[in-house]
Amino acid sequence: MTTDFNRLIRVLADGGIECVLVGGVAAIAHGAARTTFDVDIVYSRNPGNLHRLVASLGPLEPYLRGAPPGLPFRWDIQTIRSGLNFTLTTAAGEIDLLGEVAGGGTYEQLLPHTQEIQVLGVVLRVVTLEKLIQLKRAAGRPKDLEAIAELQALLEERRKGRVDRST
Amino acid sequence: MTPHLEELPPADLDDPVVEAYKKDVDRSLLRENLKLTPEERLLKHQAFVRSLEGLRRQGARCDPASGSHRGSVPADLT
Repeated sequence: MTTDFNRLIRVLADGGIECVLVGGVAAIAHGAARTTFDVDIVYSRNPGNLHRLVASLGPLEPYLRGAPPGLPFRWDIQTIRSGLNFTLTTAAGEIDLLGEVAGGGTYEQLLPHTQEIQVLGVVLRVVTLEKLIQLKRAAGRPKDLEAIAELQALLEERRKGRVDRST
Repeated sequence: MTPHLEELPPADLDDPVVEAYKKDVDRSLLRENLKLTPEERLLKHQAFVRSLEGLRRQGARCDPASGSHRGSVPADLT
């Protein structure tokens, strides 16, 4: 199934979810040319936000990605309180909810390293390009080396004074 | 153990492995993307992913194993 990025972004924004876009979508927002097929967010674990996450994503019928059908998975406050990171498939596509990101960052710790972007009439927080590179490196996955190379090249292009309409 | 957020190496760390990959980065694509707003970049990506999905569906229809080859270009790729 094709992830409907626009719909997922709207659901997060309309639901008032406190979250930071990270991963491939954040890279694309900064100008990367690589493709991604899911939305990755770091979300706040404060109780109000957990309730909003449950309410906002509930209608999209989230389910554990890759899990066999029929598992007794329920998208409710107890499930989200008991877990931390969730890789989900929904009616709008794939979304990863991260309570903490590699490198030790919670939503609150990441906040100083984010910027607001306006997309589809809503304002979203996205991790800065610099921090995104650092997080990718901290993840320590060989598959990220190419992505890091592209993001560093992007940083160099910005520093050369290329027009960047992110800011 | 992963380092704490504030102790991570700098974003522009000179890593020989990354430098090797960097030689293959198509900077012309990045320069074009930098001319767009974040919204335009995300919309462009969404359109690309949708076209990939169209291609994938078309590929499945062309699969000789299915015995139903139809070689037309999907509407969302034209």
